[in-house]
This record gives sequence, structure tokens and C-alpha cells, in this order.
Amino acid sequence: MQTATTTASRTEAGGAVAQGAHSTNAVETKQATSRQLISIVFILALATKMFLLPISLIQSIGRDAYIALAIGGGIDLITLGLLIATIKLSPDVDFFELLKRAFGKVGAKIFVAFVALFLFFKLNISTTESLTFYSDNVFADFDTSLMIIVLLIFLTAAACHTLRALSRLNELLTPIIILCLALLAAIVVMTGFDLANILPAMRAPKSFAADAARHAAWLGDFTPLLLFIGRTRTKKHTAAFTAASGVIGTATAVFFSIVMCAAFGNVSVLADTSTNLSSILQYSIGNVYGRIDLFSSVLWSISAFIETALFFYATCRCVAFVIGKNSHMPIAVGVCVALYFTQVYAMTDPTVFSLIVTSYAASAITLAFAVGIPTVALVCAVIAHKKDGNGKPASETADTADTAADASGSENAGDNENADGAPQRDGELTATTDAEG
Amino acid sequence: MENAERILSKFTTPETIVTHEFMCGKKHGALLVNPDLADSSVVRSVIFSIEHGEGGAPATLDDVAEILFEAETELSDDVDDCVNKLLNGDILLCMEGESEYLVITARSYTTRAVTEPPTETVMRGPREGFIEDLRTNLSLLERRLKTPDLAIEKMQIGRRTKTNVAICYLSSVAAPSVVKKLKRRLEKIDVDGIVDSHYLVPYIEEKPSSLFTQTGLTEKPDIVAAKLLEGRVALIVDGSPMVVTVPFVVIEEFQSGEDYYQRSTYSTFVRILRYLGMLLATLLPGLYVALQNFHYTLIPVRFMITLMTAIKGLPLSPLSETLFVLLLFEIIREASVRMPRAVGMAMSIVGALVLGETAVNAGIISSPAVMITALSSIALFTVPNLIGPTSLLRLAYTLIGGLFGLFGLILAVLFTLHYVCSLNAYDAPYCAPFAPLVYSDFKDSIERAPLPQMKKRPKSIPNNNNATRQA
Repeated sequence: MQTATTTASRTEAGGAVAQGAHSTNAVETKQATSRQLISIVFILALATKMFLLPISLIQSIGRDAYIALAIGGGIDLITLGLLIATIKLSPDVDFFELLKRAFGKVGAKIFVAFVALFLFFKLNISTTESLTFYSDNVFADFDTSLMIIVLLIFLTAAACHTLRALSRLNELLTPIIILCLALLAAIVVMTGFDLANILPAMRAPKSFAADAARHAAWLGDFTPLLLFIGRTRTKKHTAAFTAASGVIGTATAVFFSIVMCAAFGNVSVLADTSTNLSSILQYSIGNVYGRIDLFSSVLWSISAFIETALFFYATCRCVAFVIGKNSHMPIAVGVCVALYFTQVYAMTDPTVFSLIVTSYAASAITLAFAVGIPTVALVCAVIAHKKDGNGKPASETADTADTAADASGSENAGDNENADGAPQRDGELTATTDAEG
Repeated sequence: MENAERILSKFTTPETIVTHEFMCGKKHGALLVNPDLADSSVVRSVIFSIEHGEGGAPATLDDVAEILFEAETELSDDVDDCVNKLLNGDILLCMEGESEYLVITARSYTTRAVTEPPTETVMRGPREGFIEDLRTNLSLLERRLKTPDLAIEKMQIGRRTKTNVAICYLSSVAAPSVVKKLKRRLEKIDVDGIVDSHYLVPYIEEKPSSLFTQTGLTEKPDIVAAKLLEGRVALIVDGSPMVVTVPFVVIEEFQSGEDYYQRSTYSTFVRILRYLGMLLATLLPGLYVALQNFHYTLIPVRFMITLMTAIKGLPLSPLSETLFVLLLFEIIREASVRMPRAVGMAMSIVGALVLGETAVNAGIISSPAVMITALSSIALFTVPNLIGPTSLLRLAYTLIGGLFGLFGLILAVLFTLHYVCSLNAYDAPYCAPFAPLVYSDFKDSIERAPLPQMKKRPKSIPNNNNATRQA
């Protein structure tokens, strides 16, 4: 190296300061900020609950479908509560590490393998929802086997970057999604809908329960939040705001479901996947503005893509943990291939779909996983908390992480780069907090 | 003389160095001069002082240094260092029996005058621009930042070019981690030569192969001074008028120096236009093709009828005609830039009138496609720094929109945004203050708040725990 350095600083003092104190104000010290967590919860709460589920519920339950959706949303909110509690309780130790401490390495891997299967199942549902929306509403001719490739490329890219990138993307797009929802809601309110169509409610409670139970596969939408355990910089009111965000998201989904039930509740035979909310609005407002309703629905579908990306990312991280490899690209490609085959050869077949998604067995298993996984995570966090006394308030720990990074002269306090300058993945399980110093 | 020979032996063509031999009393002496770079008046003055100076002939190099009290001198026994200085235009003086060399500063380069940079012209505000001379550039900066906090650290990069590079920052404002990281990356560079600051950029960026630049480049000292005041670090390279600044966030692409010299409300309006322009430039052709190819029901009926009339009987598909017009535009633009100004004008006329108009009249391409491309191309120039990435993205989105419709287009945009969100530039999130949301930095993002309201430095840019800009 031929680099000769001749320092000619204007002030020695200036140079000393530059070499001395290492304290900067990096805006991100962890993989996700509390704002990002809040926005992700909002998206997860409503994304897939506004596509196929309301239609499927109307078809089988009729005008009480919105009640089933509300109950499902309530169960999901309970799982959200469990996950928020875990995130709060374990500010620095991630999900995989918690499991390892509780069950040992092998036990943790076995458990994570099941989690990965569940996430893959949810990934399939989420993907099917997006593809069905486009194939039935936006395209006259939609070749799933070809179109899915674009989605898979995006998912692979998402899995090869960090959780931070995904969180930032979601934060960036949430305002657009909210705007589209507001526009859709405004059109709904302007055009009006007859609430009398959904009354009286619960005329056949037994059949309602039986039909609603077949839709438990849509539960567990908050499961990807497992990845935020130990990686989120929480503040004093993070838990409250996150829960509020979940409640608002669920309420929004229920609101739009009520609209659909008011339109189709009495004539459920008319409802199929192509006559969704957007179509109702189209008939109401006519073609004066073109399909502004569908256009905003298309923009809103971004939320479903983000949810799919989160499920994909979480699946890949779980697979990485199970096989003990951190090479993200091969894992992502592997999951992509599996997703391609399940989507093209299984999920597009209505019989197979109903067998593996809307059967009682599938619903029972999904319910068990949806509630069981967050519960186990919380129990592990409680055990770790008691064992290690790792119960410092999140803000304190975050500050400590900052200070540690500064004191060690780490240049990566807000960055994903290790000492050699190579990108550090947040899937590198044992080094999760290293990036924070 | 042995000392002079030792220096000259390092050169492949020693005749490029002029050797003035002289006698100092009974000692032989020699003056080594690089005539292309040294100031001849300094050379004459040195020879005159030695031969005819008061107090008789000097016996040692120290005596010579005393005689030359007006000149900047230094003693050195490092032959490589002396050769390096000789190559920079300094004079070397050696004497018989002395192992050291006296280095006399005599650099004199021809530089152009400080003028308004053509890439950043302004209606209001300073018109000074950096030039190719490092000293002049530093003086332009120092004149604006009269504080002992201003640290200027110099280093040489390039095995053969030995280019002088100055790292400038405000020590009490810039984050030490940023300065350290930049220096570490610069020190790692082991390359033959650096002929311009653009050569350094890939070495100091986090992702050099990225489509998006992660360093700021400017020719204006007022902009560099403002950036240093926000906690950034500047890199001035000898021989280049472009100054590199880090950390860099994407909103800087949408800011202009002039924003701060006009009313804040108008600046805010102009910035919103730039963001809209960017959206139009990248998405409009792709959206047009996607709607026409797959989603014509999304187009309002009246507009659809007009459109159908315009495209009736066209031999090309919407995708191929839009791609054709886009490529035509790119070719004309590239040709216009490379051509002499007068010919460039003629090229534009030929491109716009002859090719465009004739192609529409001949029924090869449709007027909507030309209009969409023209609108998109004009919008492209609202953010001049992003012309490169935007042009490529526009082509890619058009292709994807034409093949996969809105489904593909939305996913392609998500893909790009996700990638941009993953970027970090020297501990600064590239998409800040939008992702992550940093509300306090919104005052200078889409909005340009009045300067008295911008009390804090941007949070997105790491600083040395010195966030307060004004009381």
C-alpha cells in the first residue's frame, strides 16, 4: 500500500476529539424501531383478512360472517398480546436463543422445525390470497405459474436482506396503504350500505360455530412477530401502541367485512372470489372515475405482499436455524421452489385447497399452532427472565447497547456490517446483538 | 554529484529534471528542479540568494535554510519522499558531504479561475464553484467556516498519481465513527492512480455496485459548508472540482442549494414537484403499458375511447412502441450530450421533429406513447442527480409492466424500494427520514422549513452528540 498520511489538522484539539469520544446518535440501534413494529402489526392485522377470508366466510356462514371474522380477529389479538409481552420481556435475546436456553439446542431445532412448517403453511395462504385477488379481479387472463415468478423474485430479495430493510419498507408504505383504505372507506360511506341486511344476527348458532371453525387456518397472522423478539427497540408505550395498532387493524378488517355482509349476506350464492368489496363499490359508483376503487385496492394489495414477504422471511430464518446454515440465498431459493410447487400444483386446485385449508383437521392444527407458538415463546421468555434477570426496561437496554457500541469503538451501531465490512445478516442467530455492539 | 544522482536515478527519464550545479564556498551543490511544476521565479530567487546572499557562501544546508528565510523549507533524508516532493513541484537542494536534502516549496500550477459550476447553476445564491486545485478549494471552504473546529486531514492516494486528498469535517460536529470509517476505507485503497474524485467513490461506498449513489457530489463550496455544519464529512481531491460528502441520504438528491436562498414555502412547493416528477418519470410509461395491455377496464371510458382511436391500426404492441420511443429518447439524449453544442441542437430538432413526428404520421408509433415518454422524460430532469438510475428503472418498469401488468409493476416497485431501504451510508439510513421515520428531519425533506425553525441538526446524520444547531 502506497498511502502516505500527512496530517495537517487545523487544531490538535479537534483531532483529539475526533479520536476520542465515540458517541453518535444513530437513529436505529436495533433491527426494528417501535414505530416499525407498530406499523407491521397494523398491516398483519388486516392484510389477508380482507382478501379471500370474508368471501369464504360469507359463502359458508352467510350474513353472520363478520361475527366470525371478529371472533377470529379477537383470537389473533390474544396471540398478539402474548407476542408483545414476549418482546417486552426479552428486549435483547431473540426467539431462537430463548428456545435454546429453554429446550436445549436439539429441542429448539425440533420446535423451530414445526414453526417453520406452520409459517410455510401461512405463507401459502397469504400467497394464494394475493394471486387470487389479481387473477379474479385485475387480470382477464392470469397465468399463475408464470406470474408467481415475479413474486418469488421479490420474496427472495426480501429474504436475502435484513429484517431491518423489511421493517423500513413497511414503514415507508404504511401511509400509502392507510390512504388507500381511507379512500375505499370513503367510497363505501358515500355510496351507502344497508346495515339492516346483517340483522338479526346469529340465527343459527350451531351451524355458525361449525362453519366458523373451518376457517381457523387464517389465524396466526401475527406469528412473524417472533422475529422481532430481542430485535426491537421498545419504548415506554410501545406495547400499548402496538396493541392499539392491532385492534385498529382488526376493526378495519371487520368494518369492510360488515360492508360485504350487508351487500351479500342475504344472497351469499352471489359471492365468489371475484365479487369482492371492490366490485360492490364499482357497481355503486359506476365508471365515472374509471375503476378508482380497484386501483386503490391494487395499491392496498401492497400490504398483502408485505405480509407474504414477512412470512417468507420468517420461514427462511427458521429453516436456517434448523439446518444451522446462514447462507440465505440457497435457503430462500429452496423455499421458493417449494412455494412454487405448492402454489401451482396444490393451492390452485379447489379440492386440495379445501382439504388442506378449510378442513376441520387443518383448522384445529392451525389453531393449536397459532396460539401455541406465542405461548411457548412467552414461557421461554419468562424462564429466561427469571434465570438471567434479563428484565431491564427496553429503553435502558437499548441505551446500554448504544453505549457498548460506542465504548468499543464499533462503527456498526446503526449498520449491518461486521468488522470486515461484510454485510451482517440478522439471521445470524448467535450474532444477533453483535451488530448492536 | 552523488546526492543528486541518487534522486535522478529514480527517474526513467532524468532529463525531465533540471539540475543547477553551483559552488558554495569550496563545496559542490546542486539544485534539482521540475521545470514543469516549479515556480521559475522561486528557482531564480533561490539561486541568487545562495550565490550572492549576504554573509558569504553557506557551508551547510541549515545555513541555506537561514538564507532562504522567506521560503518554506524542510530538511529530509528520505529519498522517496524527496522524489515525491520533486514531482509535486518542490525544489531539492543537496550539498556535498550532506546526507539530507533541503526541500524548498515552489509549487506553481496553472489553474482555471473560480467560476460558476455548469452543473449547479443558481438564480440566487453564491456562484463560486470548486476548481481543480486543492489549495484553492480548501481556501474556498475555509473562508466559509472560520472555526478552529474545522479539521483538514491530508493524505495521498494512488501509487503513481500520489493524488492529494483532503478530508474535511467539523471535529465537534461530525461523528468520530464516520470519520474513522472513511479514513479506514481510504487507507485501504491500493490503486495505481486516482485522477478524479469519482474514482474514490466506489472505494468509500457501502455498496459500490449499487444502482444508487451513496455519496454526495457537489461543486459548490456553500453546499459543502452547509453539509459539514450538519455533521457530514467532505473529501476534496486534488485535480477534481467535485467534492464528495458522506454520510448521504436519498433526500439529498431532491434538495438543491437554491432551496435555501428562496422563500421556504416556494422551496417546499418545488420539492413536492421534484418528488412528483420522480414518480412520473419512473412509473408513467410502465403504468401506461400495463393499463393498455392488461387492465383497460381501469381507464375511464371517455379516455379509453380517445386512446383506442389513437392506437387504432398500429403495427406495434403498446410495450414495443413505448420501449421503442424510450430507447429513441435515450439515444438522442446521449448523442446530444456528446455532440458539440451547435450540432447537439440540430440533433434534438432531428430527433424530436423528424423522428417523432414522422413516426406518428407514418402510423408506426402512437401520439399517446410519444406524449407519455415526453412527459416522463421532462419529469426525469427535475432531479438531475438521479437521471441515471431513473432512466434504467423506467425501462425496467416499462418492460415488467408490459409483461406482468400491475401485479409485476407493483412487485418491481416493492423490490426497488426494499433494496433502497436496505442501504445504509455511514450509519445513516439511506431512506431517512421516511424509513425509518424521523419526524424532526421532515423539516428539511419534502418540506423546507424556515431556517429559524431548524434548530437541530438532522437526526438521520450521525453527529458527535452535538445536535443543536441554533438556540
